[in-house]
Amino acid sequence: MEYIVQQVLNALSFGAEYALLALGLAIVFSIMGLVNFAHGEIIAVGGYTMVAFASLAIGNPMIVMVGAVLAAMLASLTLERVAFRPVRKADPTTGLLTAFGVSIVLQNLFLLFVSPRPIAVTSLYFLDWSIEIAGIRLASLQVFETLTTIIVIIALMLFLRRTVLGLAVRAASLDFEMVRLTGIRANRVFAIAFLISGLLAGLACIFIMARRGSVDPHLGFEPVLKAFVACVVGGFGSLPGAVLGGFLLGAVEVAMLVMLPQSLGGMTDAFVFMIVAMILIWRPDGILSPAVEKGDKL
Amino acid sequence: MIRLSSSQRSGLVGAALLALVLVAIGLLTAYFGSRYQVRLVYSAYVNLIVVLGLQVFMGNARITNLSHSAFMGIGAYAAALCVTPENIKKISLPDAPWGLAQFSLDPVVSALIAVVITAVLALLLGMLIVRLTSIGATIVTLAILVIIHAIFLYRTDIFKGNQAFFGIPQVFNLTSVIAIAILVVIVCRLFRESRWGIQLRASADDEVGAAAMGVQIYRLRLIAWVLGAVILAVAGICYAYFLGTISARPFYFNHVFLTLAMLILGGMRTVTGAVLGTFLISFGLEGVRYLETGPVFLGIDLPEALGLSGIALGAVIVLTMALRPTGIMGNREIETLFVRQRH
Repeated sequence: MEYIVQQVLNALSFGAEYALLALGLAIVFSIMGLVNFAHGEIIAVGGYTMVAFASLAIGNPMIVMVGAVLAAMLASLTLERVAFRPVRKADPTTGLLTAFGVSIVLQNLFLLFVSPRPIAVTSLYFLDWSIEIAGIRLASLQVFETLTTIIVIIALMLFLRRTVLGLAVRAASLDFEMVRLTGIRANRVFAIAFLISGLLAGLACIFIMARRGSVDPHLGFEPVLKAFVACVVGGFGSLPGAVLGGFLLGAVEVAMLVMLPQSLGGMTDAFVFMIVAMILIWRPDGILSPAVEKGDKL
Repeated sequence: MIRLSSSQRSGLVGAALLALVLVAIGLLTAYFGSRYQVRLVYSAYVNLIVVLGLQVFMGNARITNLSHSAFMGIGAYAAALCVTPENIKKISLPDAPWGLAQFSLDPVVSALIAVVITAVLALLLGMLIVRLTSIGATIVTLAILVIIHAIFLYRTDIFKGNQAFFGIPQVFNLTSVIAIAILVVIVCRLFRESRWGIQLRASADDEVGAAAMGVQIYRLRLIAWVLGAVILAVAGICYAYFLGTISARPFYFNHVFLTLAMLILGGMRTVTGAVLGTFLISFGLEGVRYLETGPVFLGIDLPEALGLSGIALGAVIVLTMALRPTGIMGNREIETLFVRQRH
């Protein structure tokens, strides 16, 4: 029984991380149809900011964390301005390939200007200790991560439903031209979407760094690959879909880790991707995608 | 006698022009190139075959495929497993199951078997992919890439994972790869101008409209997908038969992005674009790699700059997408540059 509870909590914390990242991808996709593969490099920007703070001998964890999140937001905003504005009206494939390109450029910039090797960041170790409640051993990091994701989801929901700008963002995902006709600046809506996306990446960055304790140029690639898959499974562009997809992926991954025999350990990712592919073949547009007929005006 | 349409005739002219270019580059390399440069040009030709295989599906159906390097790997490993002599396999693959280490075939039969295996696998996977639309299809191809790579790494008893699978007879030289590349160019061009190619391109422009005109989109996509996979298998075989050693690493993300950048830069809608992009990036990257080592250039001692080639590759993709999303060639094939088109 305790074992099951433990694994469920593991699945929740895995899922929380994927959900955080998937939300960041989905909010951008819902507005401009861009699959932002450079999201992973935003996480790496946060990681390298922590390195910068460490080399400046600033150890105050609040400053480090807030700094990393702010840097991620700024990087996200910059990418929107520099790289993604020219392909704003293009089809999803063009956007996807642009994002791939941006991702390769950033990874190699880190490699060129910082280091190809991992750099240790120790300032966040304090976040991780183990707690024991009713015989269940937990990592505090898992609890923080799950709680943060829940708070973020609630805050995002309030923002999208209770503020004018949030309303504009939601409306923009349905009919962008109409939003512009009502006098809201397109650039502001895009900026907000990328800022939120950067904020989510920054938060995810804190947890990833606290767990890994080091940063290298490919830090964000794998988590974002998974988040991307979560997004697609949930229904691309749907925010509830991103959250559902994230937690579902976390559950599948933990289930695979638990159920697969030790000898198949290296195949976990292969099985996860296989299940994802099967979900997509069952529902090509994802589980929670809105029903769209081919040929509809989008 | 088969009657060809005017676009098919100009397709053959275009393929012949491209063949001339391929032969010219090959001759120049063979006469003036050092051993190292011959190797380099050989790998450019292998990448050309990969990019052409990618173009058949991506350019005509316009669905981004990210699994192509995996199919190249399947072709390479299947051929390598068949062709490698028994005595070498006994050393390198002592635990191989199903008697894989107990036989060896001659190179041609091995290549044929490899192509058939890849085609059958592609057919099975393709039946799942062709029903999906843009992003969904791309994700499934991504999943295929990850799964196949995981299998290469996991079954070390068959594929040796990231270690070298050695002892493949080196039966190919520059001439053979050029001959194959020319053949593939002709096949790609004829497919593009065939009924199937034209219908498939129409379905990419307007899926609903083409379906309403009676185009069987799923079937055509499947044909293009399998043809592309066969070409990719051929590329993998060329790779294995020249180098003599293969490992799982070259069939993963880095190679996917490299070849994708080639196709995008040249323009994925045309065969000419695939050829142009491949050579521009192959030779361009070599220049950048030279800068990467930190040479003395015009009297200035440049610093070592690892990662420069990656930046260049990414920048090529981003700039092409921003400035000219259809690539350098757009919708034009090579012969339209010389022959005035009648409208």
